[in-house]
Amino acid sequence: MSGTGTIPLAERRWSLLVTVLAFALPVVFVLVPLAIFLGYSFFSVDQGTIVHTLSLGNYVRFFTDPIFLPVFWNTIVLCLSVAAICILLAYPAAYFLTTLKGRWRYALLMLLLVPLLMSYVIKIYAIRSILGLNGFLNKALVGLGILQEPSTLFVFNMNAILLTLTLLLIPFAILPIFLSLERIPQVLLRASDDLGASGLQTFLRITLPLSLPGVASAASFVFVLAIGDFLTPQMVGGISGFTFGRILYSQFGTAYNWPFGAALSVALAVVVIAAILVGERFGRNRGTAI
Amino acid sequence: MNQNTDLLTLRSVSKSYGTVPVLHDIDLSIKDGEFLTVLGPSGSGKTTVLRLIGGLEPLTSGEIRLDGQDISRMPINRRPFNTVFQDYALFPHLTVSGNVGYGLSVRHVPRKEIARRVAEALELVQLGRFTDRFPAQLSGGQRQRVALARALICQPRLILLDEPLAALDLELRRQMQEFLKSIQREIKTTFLFVTHDQEEAIGMADRICVMQAGHIRQLGTPHELYYKPNCEFVARFFGENNLVAGKLGSVQGELRSIETALGRLVCSIRDQPHLKTATDGASAFAAFRPEALHLADAKDTENRFSGTIADMAFAGSSTVATITAGADHAGQRLRLRMPSRVDGSTLKSGATISLAFAPHEGHLVLA
Ligand SMILES: Nc1ncnc2c1ncn2[C@@H]1O[C@H](COP(=O)(O)OP(=O)(O)O)[C@@H](O)[C@H]1O
Ligand SMILES: [Mg+2]
Repeated sequence: MSGTGTIPLAERRWSLLVTVLAFALPVVFVLVPLAIFLGYSFFSVDQGTIVHTLSLGNYVRFFTDPIFLPVFWNTIVLCLSVAAICILLAYPAAYFLTTLKGRWRYALLMLLLVPLLMSYVIKIYAIRSILGLNGFLNKALVGLGILQEPSTLFVFNMNAILLTLTLLLIPFAILPIFLSLERIPQVLLRASDDLGASGLQTFLRITLPLSLPGVASAASFVFVLAIGDFLTPQMVGGISGFTFGRILYSQFGTAYNWPFGAALSVALAVVVIAAILVGERFGRNRGTAI
Repeated sequence: MNQNTDLLTLRSVSKSYGTVPVLHDIDLSIKDGEFLTVLGPSGSGKTTVLRLIGGLEPLTSGEIRLDGQDISRMPINRRPFNTVFQDYALFPHLTVSGNVGYGLSVRHVPRKEIARRVAEALELVQLGRFTDRFPAQLSGGQRQRVALARALICQPRLILLDEPLAALDLELRRQMQEFLKSIQREIKTTFLFVTHDQEEAIGMADRICVMQAGHIRQLGTPHELYYKPNCEFVARFFGENNLVAGKLGSVQGELRSIETALGRLVCSIRDQPHLKTATDGASAFAAFRPEALHLADAKDTENRFSGTIADMAFAGSSTVATITAGADHAGQRLRLRMPSRVDGSTLKSGATISLAFAPHEGHLVLA
């Protein structure tokens, strides 16, 4: 085969271009906007116009105003809960998938991932109609005699956001957990049996620890997607379901305070980056070779 | 431990995957304390035998008895056997001591005792310094020894080893062969060792079980297999051999004649009653080892024929001549192995020579 020296010049230029693009695109579309936001967060607004003098005012306001920090914490707790519930539901589902044989396994996996292809807004509407006063959930609970009459417990509050986000994001948790479970060589499980372990012992000592990287990726995925979402809280949160995403969104809309919005975005970005780093740290396999 | 009692017996064991038969009516007895090697080409069913005994796979029919008791349906985690897997199958998230202690810890042995026995086992396999490493940080030979220690520590009645040395390079493989053998002698546990490498089998085994296409072809000591193969497959597979086709002739005491393209040959049938009773004219092979073939001299009255040297190959301690013989010195290829000499061989390619082998060094196998 031809060595590097014989590759035509045009082809080499081509590959150089691809390389440059591969590095340039993330810089242009991710890092530059982030940098602009960071810059904006040090400006301020005076009577509807942006004042381009640097100050820490926005950050001081974020940390001292009694509104923002509590919402910030509540939102983080909410999203951690979403991540935890998603994991608890997705793990058994993913585990069940790996026990299926060949074709069934992937057919069912695809079925579980289909919601990812649907419009986000339509999914939220669908879930809202399930949770609403006349929705499926209430009808079922009343029908089973668990509730006397339809409850408003599931719409336009924090519960509604929690449930909706969980339903929306579960596929993002199933996939990484499934992949990490599927990567565990069967022979390790047989070796564990061979050494006298019971089925439960094999699961707790071999399967579970070896799938933790997938769990970590899933958790950080779900958390990051949940905390960045303002649409869901907007649509199902009502007045009491106030999240950080909604405050942030309002700064760019009704409040029209871009610099403060940018400062809030920076705070959010710090949490997101931290979550990604934590997920990455635990998502890495310690030693994959066997 | 008594080498004469049977530890494990397989009785007409068959195994099919779906409708595909993989093992046909296997009968095998493993003696307590022996080093038994299962030898056969790839795909002959060696791993399957091991998996059936270990309990990783259910039997299709037949039974497996341990100390005379049927264990065919005993679950894998209750069988007093441990396996050293083909690719070691070490747990990547556990350290060396975590791996080695695993079998004790799932049986809720107290921590202190686990620590003591892990240290002992690692001492035995000479890995005392590596307790806190992860498998990914070990070399192939070290992983191998961790896998062995992990199996030994449970004090199984039988250790099953599936081509444990196949992934190692030649030098390391030699060392590990000796090492395994010496450990087996030390702990006196029964080893069932699978390999496709006949040199490895000769070097390590007390007895060898030769498998082909899901059948056991022969079971015996390396010496028996080498000098008294009971079929064409074993005669060809086990060590280098010369096979010459022919028709059986008359019996004279412990010898029997066979008519071949090299003329009438006479071979030993000692301790092989089935060759004595085989009908005259039955198809068979005369088999003689390359080292049994030599240049004929005045003492050789039987088994004399001539051939042409096609090739001479120096192979270190020995030199191998490839010879064409039979009608017109074509059609029958033979090998002659002789000790190498410092001033080279006097034999040259193209030379016609007279050859012979002693009747008691030839044997017969039925075709
Ligand atoms: N799980 C399985 N399903 C179907 N066929 C199998 C399976 N395992 C092994 N076989 C077949 O059984 C035969 C014997 O395999 P194996 O015992 O692994 O041979 P060996 O270890 O001697 O190489 C092979 O033809 C192989 O293709
Ligand atoms: Mg095999």
